[in-house]
Formats: sequence, C-alpha cells, structure tokens
Amino acid sequence: MVYPYGFFKAGIAVLWIVVFLWSTVFFFWFTRRLFPDHLLKHAFFFWLVVWAQAVWTLTKLPPYWIVSVFFLTPVSFLDDTAKASHVRVFSKKVPRYFFERALTGIGFAGFVMLLTLVREIGEKSLGMHVFEQPAGMLLTAAAVAFLWKNQPYRRRSQYPSIAAERKLGPPKSPLMKRKQRLGKG
Amino acid sequence: MYFLIITFGFLLAMRGTRPASLQRPAEGFRRIVRETIDLFLTMSLILALLAVAAGSEEVRTGVGEYAVLGFGIAAYLLSRYQKKTDLFFFSVIAGIFMISSKQRNLSEEILLAGVVSAGIALFQACFLGLRYKLLFSSVPVSMKGWPSLCLLAGFISMVLWGLWNSAF
Repeated sequence: MVYPYGFFKAGIAVLWIVVFLWSTVFFFWFTRRLFPDHLLKHAFFFWLVVWAQAVWTLTKLPPYWIVSVFFLTPVSFLDDTAKASHVRVFSKKVPRYFFERALTGIGFAGFVMLLTLVREIGEKSLGMHVFEQPAGMLLTAAAVAFLWKNQPYRRRSQYPSIAAERKLGPPKSPLMKRKQRLGKG
Repeated sequence: MYFLIITFGFLLAMRGTRPASLQRPAEGFRRIVRETIDLFLTMSLILALLAVAAGSEEVRTGVGEYAVLGFGIAAYLLSRYQKKTDLFFFSVIAGIFMISSKQRNLSEEILLAGVVSAGIALFQACFLGLRYKLLFSSVPVSMKGWPSLCLLAGFISMVLWGLWNSAF
C-alpha cells in the first residue's frame, strides 16, 4: 500500500482501512450468532469481496487493501464462543476486544505512515533508489522489527529487578538449602 | 507486477501453506512448486472464464462493472474447492486484478499469470534456501525472527529487481 501511493493518498487509504476494520469488527461481533457456524467464515470473505467491489466502483481504489483488513482481523474473530473481557481505561470499563482492535488500527495507521514518510524522505530527499521498490520498505520493516524486539524495557524485564529478588528471597536450590542448614549461607 | 510478486511471495512464504520443517528443504521446495502450479492454473482458469464472459454481448457490461466481485467469488470458490489457504485466495484476486487491468488479450494474460507465478515461486525458493542456511549460522538473538526475515526478503527483493529489469 505504501509503494504505489504518495503520502497524502496513502494516508486516506490507511484511514479507510482502519475505519473499515473497526466497522467489520463491530458488525460481526454483534451479528456472528445470526449466521450458521459453517457459513460464518464464508460470510466474512463475501463481505470483504463485496466491499472491495464497492470501493473499486466508487473510488477506483485497487482491492489489495482487503489483504490488510484480513491480516489485522484477529484469529478469534469468528469464534462464536469468544467473550470480551474488560480493561480499565480512565476509570471506565471498556471491553478488551474492542480496545485491542482500536489499538491495532491506530498502530497499523502509524506504521504505514512511518513507512510512507521514510520512503518519501529516502526516495525524494536522499535520492536512494532502493526506496523506489519494495526492498526499501522491507529493509525499513527489518529496522522497525529490530527496534521493537530490542526495546529497553523488554530487555530489562528478562532479568528480575533487585527489589523483586529481595521479595522472592534467595533461590532455593538443594545446595543453597544445605548451606543454610549448615549455617554457611 | 514486480511489487505483487515480492509482496505475495513474502506473504506466501510466511503463511502460505502448512510450513514444512526447515530441516527438510526438499519437502518445502516440492510444496512451493505444487502451490505455484495451482496458483497459475487457478488464475488462468479465472482469466479464461472472464474472457469467455466478456465475449458474450449480454453479460459484457455486467462483467466490466462487477469484475472484482465476479472474479473474487470465482477465486474464493476455486480456493475452497482445492482446500487452499485464505492467502492463496487473496493472491489469486490480486494477481487477476493486476493482470486484467493491464492486458486484454487472453494469451498475453495467461503468459503474465505464468510470469507472476514463477516470480512468486522464485522468491519463495530463495527465501526457503536462505532460511535453511540461516539455521547453521550464528545469528544474534536480537536479530532472530522478524528482523532477519525482513532483511532476507529485502535482499532477495533487490536481487530480483535486477533480474526483472534485465528481463523486461
């Protein structure tokens, strides 16, 4: 989606994808029990194809955007037995399901706009030819994935803090227990 | 077209079929070839159906106006009939949309479908081979997973870009 459009058009397209994702999640969350079990998945794909046709007819937006909607849609989306738990946001209880979808949409929009911005700068300002093709986006995605995977707070959370260690006490290995019993610990 | 090959080559390599073990690359390669033939035949069949439908005076207008809906439903039914993944269905839709928006002659369209399928297969084969080689190299933990996969895809994309430019 980033590749064929400029900054403005990519922004409109991504906005449409996010709005459509939220509408789809909202629509199917409340109507999924109306469909027979074996037809629910077919209905979802039919819904995507019909909207791809409608948007193509109205705006000439190529139907590739439905792939983004498909990947942003959660795996448990069509599960009839799924229940939304609640999460507190500003002292109000919000169903976790919709909260996570809202965050997904915002995150996706931010990521696409970041890629578009990097492409615009790399291609037009710096004149790097690699950004004229998908390789530039893939290399940028690799850099983003590297930074995401190595976030400082995640690295820190792999090792317990000193306070948490004190709270837990010393490790209870058989050797330590023996030393404690003999008064050497 | 090149954009389509890289995007769907990468997506199919990651989530296309039930992944074969990386320890057995020959099995993975056989699956890639099988999937590519299926993709080519499915796209060719739908393109032929579209050409036949467009040849009839009565349905020509309808086919022109509701092309996405028509080949979308055909792609979905054929994918389900072959018990393919959802991503296969999306690949067929994207491929047919791009090919039919560029070409008008059926033989040219089928040739282009072959080029797209072969390109996707080449990308997947390169990706599988590099992932296999990566098993025996000491990749740092911080680079394992998505960072190294995106990097590999980016490098393959650059190589294929060179081949694409020299071939077309």
